[in-house]
Amino acid sequence: MIGHLILRLTLWFLLTSDFSLANITIGVAVALLLPRSYTSPEVWEDWLKALWKVVAVIPTAYMEAFEMILHPHHHEEIVMERVHPRRTPGLVFLDVFLITFTPKTIAIKHHKYGWYKVHRLHKGDDSCTRT
Amino acid sequence: MTENITSFVGYAFIALGIFLWFWGTSFLPRKRSLLFKLHTLSVSDILGSIAIIIGLLVKLPSEWPLLILAIFSLAIWNTILGYVLAYCSSAGVDHE
Amino acid sequence: MHSNIIIIPMMVALLIPFYEAYRDDNVWQKLLAFSSIACKTALITLVASVLRDDWMIGVVGVLILSVGNAGLMLLAHIVKRVNEA
Repeated sequence: MIGHLILRLTLWFLLTSDFSLANITIGVAVALLLPRSYTSPEVWEDWLKALWKVVAVIPTAYMEAFEMILHPHHHEEIVMERVHPRRTPGLVFLDVFLITFTPKTIAIKHHKYGWYKVHRLHKGDDSCTRT
Repeated sequence: MTENITSFVGYAFIALGIFLWFWGTSFLPRKRSLLFKLHTLSVSDILGSIAIIIGLLVKLPSEWPLLILAIFSLAIWNTILGYVLAYCSSAGVDHE
Repeated sequence: MHSNIIIIPMMVALLIPFYEAYRDDNVWQKLLAFSSIACKTALITLVASVLRDDWMIGVVGVLILSVGNAGLMLLAHIVKRVNEA
């Protein structure tokens, strides 16, 4: 509930960048009036951890990019990765985002019970498997 | 003096972004699997573009709200588009 | 002068996915090239606006970035359905 409100207001103020009273009123009214989906209550600790991971993943992504530039990565493989089960749709979305944002891994499919099918690159020569 | 330095930093970020663009996109015309190209394109189109926008942000700090919004939407849309493309293109190959 | 130094390499980078989209017949490779084109054109718009000091164009670039890829996502789902049918 509060999370939805904060997200919408952040987007609104970034888009308009205007802190006049009228604009704040419009933003709050629209954020309250827009329909929201009723999901199970999300655990705040999980969200905070996820947000921290989003910040931490950016330098990792650049590191991986430079590793890929300096050493050619030609091995491709598909692995299954496990995260905590029983998550809300928002957290599943964040997991997919975190996996796909780093250039060496791409999430392909999300199974139930917290399994992800992940496509991963490894160091190596061109002579190896091409899936 | 400080103006010169910030301008230089801005151009350095933009140059880094353009370099990442070229590196990642250069794999596109080669004969590789779709997923491999998705990896390299995520380097160029997400990380390179974010570097370019950060360069613009250094050059033009007064417009930070919209540029930050641009970084957010770029990261989220392109990442999720990569996931959707990977999912949709592999769905026909194996049914699980 | 400065703006040309930045814009021209970006245009050259934009030509690569165009070539790929023209050459490859596989629909997924084409779609991948199109997604790359969408991202690069929006970025070029944004950079051109900042270099020319015309922020009106920049707002257009930000709007393209924030709503642009939705159509490609729908297209990917439609192509998947068509392939399955």
